[in-house]
Amino acid sequence: MSSVIETRGLKKRFGRVRALDGLDLTVASGEVHGFLGPNGAGKSTTIRVLLGLYRPSGGTATVFGQNPWSDAVALHRRIAYVPGDVSLWPNLSGGEAIDLLCRLRGGTLDAAAYRDRRAHLVDAFQLDPTKKGRTYSKGNRQKVALIAALAAPVDLFILDEPTSGLDPLMDAVFRRELQAATSEGATVLLSSHILSEVEHLCDRVSIIRAGRTVETGTLAQLRHLTRTEVAFASTGLTDADLAGLAARIPAAHDLVLGNGTPRAGIPRAGTARVSFTADSDALPEVLPVLADLRVQGLTVAPPSLETLFLRHYREDAPSPAPSTGPLP
Amino acid sequence: MNALWPLLRLRIHRDRVQLPIWIAVFFGLAALVVFAVDSSFGTSIERQALMRIAVGSPTILIFRGEPQGADVDAVAFFLIFAFLATLVAFMSTFLAVRHTRAEEESGRFELIAATPAGRLIPLLATALHGIVAALAAGLAVALGLLAGGLDGAGSTTTGGAVAGTGIAFLGVGLLAGQVMHTSRGANGLGAALIGLAYTLRAFGDAGGTASADGLSMSSAWPSWLSPIGWGQQTEAFTTNRPAPLALDLALAAVLFAVVVLLQSRRDLGTSLIGERPGPQHAPRTLSGSLGLAWRLQRAPMIGWALAGLVFGVLAGTLGETVVELVQSSAQVGEALARMAGGRASIIDLFTDTIFGLVGVIAAAAATQAMIRLRQEEANGSAELLLALPLRRGRWIFDYLLVGTVSIALVLLGAAGGAAAGLASSSEVAGTADTTARVASAAASGVAQAPAALLVLAIAALLVAFVPRLSTGLSWGVLFVSAFIGEFGELFGLPDWLLNLSPFTHTPTIGAADVDSSGAWWMLGLALAGAVAAGVGIRRRDLAL
Ligand SMILES: Nc1ncnc2c1ncn2[C@@H]1O[C@H](COP(=O)(O)OP(=O)(O)OP(=O)(O)O)[C@@H](O)[C@H]1O
Ligand SMILES: [Mg+2]
Repeated sequence: MSSVIETRGLKKRFGRVRALDGLDLTVASGEVHGFLGPNGAGKSTTIRVLLGLYRPSGGTATVFGQNPWSDAVALHRRIAYVPGDVSLWPNLSGGEAIDLLCRLRGGTLDAAAYRDRRAHLVDAFQLDPTKKGRTYSKGNRQKVALIAALAAPVDLFILDEPTSGLDPLMDAVFRRELQAATSEGATVLLSSHILSEVEHLCDRVSIIRAGRTVETGTLAQLRHLTRTEVAFASTGLTDADLAGLAARIPAAHDLVLGNGTPRAGIPRAGTARVSFTADSDALPEVLPVLADLRVQGLTVAPPSLETLFLRHYREDAPSPAPSTGPLP
Repeated sequence: MNALWPLLRLRIHRDRVQLPIWIAVFFGLAALVVFAVDSSFGTSIERQALMRIAVGSPTILIFRGEPQGADVDAVAFFLIFAFLATLVAFMSTFLAVRHTRAEEESGRFELIAATPAGRLIPLLATALHGIVAALAAGLAVALGLLAGGLDGAGSTTTGGAVAGTGIAFLGVGLLAGQVMHTSRGANGLGAALIGLAYTLRAFGDAGGTASADGLSMSSAWPSWLSPIGWGQQTEAFTTNRPAPLALDLALAAVLFAVVVLLQSRRDLGTSLIGERPGPQHAPRTLSGSLGLAWRLQRAPMIGWALAGLVFGVLAGTLGETVVELVQSSAQVGEALARMAGGRASIIDLFTDTIFGLVGVIAAAAATQAMIRLRQEEANGSAELLLALPLRRGRWIFDYLLVGTVSIALVLLGAAGGAAAGLASSSEVAGTADTTARVASAAASGVAQAPAALLVLAIAALLVAFVPRLSTGLSWGVLFVSAFIGEFGELFGLPDWLLNLSPFTHTPTIGAADVDSSGAWWMLGLALAGAVAAGVGIRRRDLAL
């Protein structure tokens, strides 16, 4: 499978701010690739580099094997883009904006097909195309850009938080329409903060922080890298049992005894919960110990997507936040 | 009320570069005009000649003011006040719109209005800010005149008149912000009202009655309908009466009350002139970036062309009145020829002088078209566009084209107006002379194109190479060039400075031998600039 998007060590500086600091991203043909990262990580910047709107300060980026900066016009015939924050022309109606964007992309050459597709989308997204740009609500502005992107077939969709502001019903319409487009073979780069959307749509994800890729893979692979949460009730256990717990389960992390006080001693009376996390592949070593202790109310939770992302978003990774220090 | 001070500070902070520039310009102009009168019309004989011509020629009165004798200070006031008043009117309306409608349009006002500041305190803060700015402009003018050596009472009166005009137009700008939906529309309405005020006083001055000595006039009633006229009626340096300024304050108070009423009743984001729904589908013309640029600039272009038409009619109808005047006095004729920069057929020369202003209007229309591209980029809609298979060179070229068409429309409007005016004027009509005069007016129109095109190309270069500064710099270039072009010789500026302005290289139609080498140079430079801009814009990042 050839890759549609490929960046190697991509760098972008704005004055002293390093928005991208050696970003590697590979999006294979036909896949829906989730692009995640905390605010200010550099997602929109990467996307603008891929669209030839920003010129990289270092590293390489290719789209369909071409240079997005110098071959922008040729590439743009194959790409549909939805920005995160859609600004429309104040004195153009939504319908006019959709037609203009599609005509410029050359997507209206098959006039009949375009007309049908546009009518279908306007109906599906319940958009009133006669309103003027500034009288649209945020979600409706987003819909205008989405319809313009979906109304004509393209090879690559680049979507920067495309559903921010859409209501759940419209969100479902968007997912349906995007899946229809990808079933015809289109590739998608989808930046998003909505984890359920990522889980629902994406084949693979890349997580970036401070302008660098920190993780990339299928969701299953990423899950594998994170820890499982284990919790049980402390009823019927002696202080000694609990005190020895840490020693007996070397794979345990973040051990919490009692009501959320880490290692602060055991509540004097009654029942409390004990919880810890363990590397998912260390679980087989943990279970016999728990069986030995005859723990009650045992829960073993696989890592949720939230914890998975939160770990990457929050953790102190080696790469610093976009530095504002002097450049080398 | 606790919110007032932070909001006021915010406004001052936002204008921290712009306002000082305005103030410096006011000071400089005021100081320069005294110097100019001293150097160009040093003797009282020369000044009396100048004022006699002025009193007798409506064309001059239209662009200057109400003659009040031949003293240096009165002549300075006569020459510069209408110009200063117009400038301060623009400063105030732009300021008002920038801090009200533009904020509302961008959504920032919503953030502020949701705080305890509410809907009215921001308005109050804008009004205070505008008043402070107008007072500062007035103070700068007074200090400038004092620095030029004029007396305190007259300088203070002039400064007061400038401040009063500024305050009156602050109200106009605030009202425009309530009436129109977009800041662009509000600025357009404000400019149109300034134009109306200027025209009213122009008619008042042109139709005034001369005093017995032929050195002074009292304006006709239309002057009293215009805030710029009220400022003139202070008759600074002669009678120094501040009473007419009460009209400025009264107008401002009334307008502000109306604005407060509107603001407290209307919904956020709405305006007096509502928004109509648009078509479901784009018309065939809207199929590319040229169609878009055309559509975006259509309304302003019509406004600019109308302004050209008005000036053309002025030129056409008033040209021949000058001739009688010149024939009546040799001394006057000589002075007149000097003022216009050479000896030639006086009508053509006067038509051409007015067409010099038309050229500035054409250049302004073109600058606005090019700045439109920058605004598209800054407000984010260009991001949608440039992610499409649209060459950036093509993109800027389309705006250059729209700018060129704007220039053509303004010049066409002016030439058409002049032709109509000449054909209808009693003295010239029906004679073989008419054809020659109309041809000359058309030639004057064509002659203005190179300078305007060069200004357009400079704006394109600025947008391509310094996008974030381009809006202010483009207007700055236009203002400085126009000022040098219109006032440079009067102010006795050095040649190298005069040569910097495209407008000084415009061929003078009606002069004995028309030198058009400057025009070809400018066309060449404009072309080179346009090409460089097309290359430059491809080499830079999208600048949000
Ligand atoms: N034009 C610019 N000039 C200076 N700094 C910029 C510019 N554009 C982006 N940045 C900086 O680059 C970094 C990355 O910004 P970017 O918009 O790519 O983040 P993001 O991942 O899209 O964030 P979000 O999730 O909030 O959309 C931020 O620190 C931002 O402040
Ligand atoms: Mg972003």
